[in-house]
Amino acid sequence: MGAPPAPGEPLVRIDGVTKRYGDLVAVDDVSLAIEPGEIFALLGPNGAGKTTLIGCVTGLTVGFSGRITVAGYDVVRDYRVTRRLVGLVPQELNYDAFFTVRDLIRYQGGYYGEPPSERRVDELLDAFDLSGKADANSRWLSGGMKRRLLIVKALVHDPALLFLDEPTAGVDVVLREELWAYVRRLRELGTTIVLTTHYIEEAEMLADRVGIIDGGRLLRVDRREALMAEYASRTVDVRLTRPPPPELFARLPDLQLEPLAGEGVRLVYRDAEADRAADAAPSPVQRLLDALRGLDLDVASVDAHRSSLEAVFRRLVFTEDRQAPPSRGVTGGGPP
Amino acid sequence: MSAATPPDLHGPADAARARVAALLERAREPRLGGVWTLFGKEVRRFWNTAAQTIGSPVVTTLLYFVVFGYSLGDRLRAIDGVPYISFIVPGLVMLGVINNAFINSAFSLFLTKIQGTIVDVLVSPLTPGQILFAYVGASVLRALLVGVIIWIVAALMGAQTLAHLGVTVAFMLLTATMFATLGVVIAIHARDFNHINLLPSFLITPLTFLGGVFYSIDMLPAPWDTLSHFNPILYMVSGLRHGMVGHSDVPVWSGALILVASNAALWGYAWLLLRSGRKLRE
Repeated sequence: MGAPPAPGEPLVRIDGVTKRYGDLVAVDDVSLAIEPGEIFALLGPNGAGKTTLIGCVTGLTVGFSGRITVAGYDVVRDYRVTRRLVGLVPQELNYDAFFTVRDLIRYQGGYYGEPPSERRVDELLDAFDLSGKADANSRWLSGGMKRRLLIVKALVHDPALLFLDEPTAGVDVVLREELWAYVRRLRELGTTIVLTTHYIEEAEMLADRVGIIDGGRLLRVDRREALMAEYASRTVDVRLTRPPPPELFARLPDLQLEPLAGEGVRLVYRDAEADRAADAAPSPVQRLLDALRGLDLDVASVDAHRSSLEAVFRRLVFTEDRQAPPSRGVTGGGPP
Repeated sequence: MSAATPPDLHGPADAARARVAALLERAREPRLGGVWTLFGKEVRRFWNTAAQTIGSPVVTTLLYFVVFGYSLGDRLRAIDGVPYISFIVPGLVMLGVINNAFINSAFSLFLTKIQGTIVDVLVSPLTPGQILFAYVGASVLRALLVGVIIWIVAALMGAQTLAHLGVTVAFMLLTATMFATLGVVIAIHARDFNHINLLPSFLITPLTFLGGVFYSIDMLPAPWDTLSHFNPILYMVSGLRHGMVGHSDVPVWSGALILVASNAALWGYAWLLLRSGRKLRE
């Protein structure tokens, strides 16, 4: 029977859930526990099964096998209780051409039992910068405003568990940052958050834990730092004043070193290697710089970046899936 | 896989547990407010455009009344002792009730489906029965408003239509419910607007016109008088005509039986569709 999760108990328990559409297995035997108060990111390419999986919890996907509970209540049998606890920001923008923004918020809250007070509606409008459009027909909102209205509608009944399905798809940089700040604030106030994203940066910036999903299978779940420490790598591009001689590569046979187009070299190393090296021997960067000095090569510039979760993602999705990396619509970095 | 290191949270985890506990207290009590919100929303959807959703059908139907009943009626003989001006009122009321009950629920639900706002309802704790009640209820209200306005205006223009009030109200209500529920079923199955327009254009409106709106089937030559008995709408028009003017082509009980049976079948089917989530939750 349902009860608030005791310390150590998860808020959501997904047990062996499989959802098929004919021959297509959209979600393939997924088990996952969401802890109260965490921000969990489901990271995966388009079509990985993210939306279907959260649909199973929110009630938009039916006919799955396995079992899902929220606070101990079964999402199929006790849906009237679980849906009161859960809010969903769907991926697809929607609008109802017959009503104003304020009406839609009031109605949405009303479906859960009683319409929200005017004060609550005003607070939400204000928090999402929609006050100026409160009495406008929802049809005339911009894409970003429609996205914010979706979030307000998901929050109006004050859910304890919020699902955000690709919340920043097609959202500009400013709104994205505001959204992230708001998500963190919601979590501080006790809302558990599950977001799906195919932007690695989003998972990296927000999540406590990350689940990597592809082809309906949950490939890996771990704390963000743990994943990054294990897999993340750094790339250092060193521009020189003349092309690097073959001797440079011969001197450092154990480093992953390659010539750059033009005049320069690229060093790639894993964070984990660098940490181990730091204890005893010089770091890979130190060794490269020493070798350059030894060969009397002048450095024009140095660029470094951390590939972080992207490396994890590529390793898991592309090697375990044995699929070629290109043309999957998966990119590192942030939204365009 | 979920056995991976649990997150190291203290503040947020405790706050989250407290939130869940507080919400569960409220979530466990059944609440009935939700269904009235959805019903109210659907009523406002047609009420906000009342000129189009109520005014327009009333005007169109009254034009039939003015032309056929008021202007030509004097030259047409009374049917079974009922003056023609009174005879056509139940037919016209039925025309308005049937069309508006169907169109309202079918368009509203289908529009919600293609706009994507159906998701807002589907993630809520509303039950299949509540969703059905709200859509059907609002459509019945619109259909009755149209029907009653036509009825009142016709009475003001001299029609005598108060023979059996109870039968009148029962037939209007049952017919409206039946076509509103049919609208819900069609909207769930429809993939584009054509699917919704085809039924009224090619089935409902022809059957209504041929169901004795303007005439008694006794006036038809063979075999049309016999064939008319296979038209279910004839039984509804006849029932309402019995209620309003005391004349009926077929026994009133047969109309009542058809209506109760179709209502039960359609309501059951629509409820099963909504409960299974087919076509909506996929």
